[in-house]
Amino acid sequence: MNHIQEQIKKSITLHIIKTEKFKTNLLAVYLTTPLQKETVTLNALIPAVLKRGSKNMKTSEEISKILEEMYGATFDCGIDKIGDNQVLKFYLESINNEFLPTQENLLQESINKLLEIVFNPLIEENKFKEEYVNSEKENLKQIIEGKIDNKAQYAFTRCIEEMYKNEPYGLYKYGYVEDIASIDSKKLYNQYNELLKTCKIDIFISGKIEENILNLIKENENIQKIEEHEAKYVVNSIKKPQQKEINTVEEKMEISQGKLVIGLDIDEETKESKYVATIYNAILGGIPTSKMFQNVREKASLAYTASSSYLKHKNNIFVRCGIEISNYEKALELIKQQIEDMKKGEFTEEDINSAKTNIIATIKSIPDEQDTEISYYFGQELSEIKMNFEEYEGNINKVTKQDIINFANKVKINTIYFLKGN
Amino acid sequence: MQIIENLKVKEKLYIEKLENGLTVMIIPKKNIQKKYVIFGTNFGSIDNHFIDPKTNEEIKIPDGVAHFLEHKMFEQKSGKNSLDTLSALGVDANAYTTNDHTAYLFETTENFYEALDELMDYIQNPYFTDENVEKEKGIIGQEIKMYEDHPGWQVYLNTMKCMYKENPVRDDIAGSIESISQINKEILYTCYNTFYHPSNMALVVCGDFEPEEILKEIKSRLIEKEKQAEIKRIYPPKEEKILQKEKTVKMEVNTPLFMIGFKDNQQEKENIVKKHIAIEIILNILLGQSSELYKKLYEQGDLISTPDLDYEFSKQYAHILISGQSKNPKEIVLKVTEKIQDLKKNGINEEEFNRIKKKIYGNYVTEYNSVAEISRMFLADYFKGINSFDYLENYNLITLDYTTQILNEIFTEENMVVSIVETN
Repeated sequence: MNHIQEQIKKSITLHIIKTEKFKTNLLAVYLTTPLQKETVTLNALIPAVLKRGSKNMKTSEEISKILEEMYGATFDCGIDKIGDNQVLKFYLESINNEFLPTQENLLQESINKLLEIVFNPLIEENKFKEEYVNSEKENLKQIIEGKIDNKAQYAFTRCIEEMYKNEPYGLYKYGYVEDIASIDSKKLYNQYNELLKTCKIDIFISGKIEENILNLIKENENIQKIEEHEAKYVVNSIKKPQQKEINTVEEKMEISQGKLVIGLDIDEETKESKYVATIYNAILGGIPTSKMFQNVREKASLAYTASSSYLKHKNNIFVRCGIEISNYEKALELIKQQIEDMKKGEFTEEDINSAKTNIIATIKSIPDEQDTEISYYFGQELSEIKMNFEEYEGNINKVTKQDIINFANKVKINTIYFLKGN
Repeated sequence: MQIIENLKVKEKLYIEKLENGLTVMIIPKKNIQKKYVIFGTNFGSIDNHFIDPKTNEEIKIPDGVAHFLEHKMFEQKSGKNSLDTLSALGVDANAYTTNDHTAYLFETTENFYEALDELMDYIQNPYFTDENVEKEKGIIGQEIKMYEDHPGWQVYLNTMKCMYKENPVRDDIAGSIESISQINKEILYTCYNTFYHPSNMALVVCGDFEPEEILKEIKSRLIEKEKQAEIKRIYPPKEEKILQKEKTVKMEVNTPLFMIGFKDNQQEKENIVKKHIAIEIILNILLGQSSELYKKLYEQGDLISTPDLDYEFSKQYAHILISGQSKNPKEIVLKVTEKIQDLKKNGINEEEFNRIKKKIYGNYVTEYNSVAEISRMFLADYFKGINSFDYLENYNLITLDYTTQILNEIFTEENMVVSIVETN
């Protein structure tokens, strides 16, 4: 297998993905910690402050210049929500030595630079540099408030928030404006130290690798100084949803197209059901032959975007479409009809086969994209399910029509969210 | 087949113009599972007025026909939709329309030849009816409305409207609800017969292929078509000057959006790649990640991420675009203007120039990571008269003097426009 996993120390896992498909090497560092209202905003601020400067590269301008000299190596960081975890993500991508016009070892340098940014921050008087924290607080506020700028994404996020009210997964990954004011550089630095003492750390290195990466990482002084600890994070597992009434939410904005999002629960908790869910979703709205695309878009001509997606870490399906605001009732009825038809088994063997072929094709193409392959292995790491592409394919192929019908009868609407015009 | 090799990225391009006029480009990629094919026609949203090469008749069509055709090409006489057929084969199929071309593509790990059958069949055999044309108006209508709520698209279109008075690049690629209402099957057939002739098209494949073999497979799927004379396209006269300096609209956004445009009316085709590289260098020095100005605007809180820096061009238009989100768009415009003056007066720093060149080299190499990106790049560049490898071959030839000359010629006050989307 091309994915090798090594324990650097308790809580730090190194993943090496050897591949010759790319011109670049991609490095990633993920810090994983449980989502909590008390820390979500603080954690969201950490990557933003770290990217401003480290102990040996004191400003973002200096970092940028160094990266540009490394033939345009690119650094990126962000925040993600995976199941009930908040994940702080850091990436560095650089050209593989083979494609450089000069002889240099960019991989080694890239590893050192990335670890330096994440684990060796610029500290002044035992706290983060005040100026950086203050300006990043402002930026974070703007990012949180900018949630409304992408209407489709906003509607999707709002539907999730409604479904997971007062639960970790309902938290916004960037946190809350009202929690920003009380943050100062001391408090943030304390949280950073706390995080490094408790979080799960995963380091991914993908590319054409000849060096002894394991030693390189083990001997890196920024890695050595991280204290050995028990990693606290939430293993992603399926839980049965709480039975309740359908929650209907409508919101108004100055827009010309309405965005309808329907969140579905699945009353099932076996591991096998995840494969059935993937196929069910493809037939309902995942691919062009799906019910959503065919009936809501092509036949009824109600929408341009009409689809569904399966959120595997939380075991939910979301149906989404952009419609004429006045067509709300009509679209909703039609979508409910599609969900009912799934229960009655109104889909063909052909539909099942296209769904399976599509899912398998997607799986097979994972190694052709560097970041997708990293995400795939990280997803497995968080759910503690280790499976290679062939096993996954086998599990998909096993699913029968009766499995899908049984599954369809466990699908229930949890929330109907509609974003409409004023 | 002509073979062009690039030693920097270690890739080869096999290119052949077939007897019927179709250009085929093959970029073999060993050890990659995915195979990608893209079939494009040099017909985009700006091609609204032309002389039919068969009848010599002058034809004007409503806005949005190229895009409408893109939607309708999938329809088959059998009642089946080719997108469904491709999807059933486990193939990820799609299509898109730009200002200057329309492309149909798929990406797959299996059933490649079955899918190629379908792709080449539906593109060569259109089936339009009054009913299927009418039905599409509702779907495209919703696509247009989706973009109406898209602040990034609005700030872009308004930039075009400031720069151009009549050039069709100022209109939405999809047209408007009103213009698409005038589209009927006759218009679609006329445009199809004119622009979907092999002599106006190109096909690119990228993946683990034997070049000779895949070329044979492609040839065997082509149907005979009568030779066609070159299509005469009619565009509004070239507009030297911008139309208006500024356009501001209000939308429901939290942070305002801005786009600064510089119209480039000094088009000389033979230098376009060099010019493009020089412009990329200037844009990076002006407002890139490591620039002094970006640092300043970031520290002031006026920018929270690097702006998008683009040079967009075809044979009919060319412009530089700087865009992003800012609480204070006016300040960005002011500072960019000042910085350009400063660069002109004090010259471009040589160390910075060399560093940015290295960065740009890395960006060009990275483009060869994905079969999708490679194929799309070669197709789009082909319709502009460019071989994509030229960027890698030319980057080292760009001098500081040449870059300074481009700076002085194009980044001028009178070429500059500003588009802003403000908060409600």
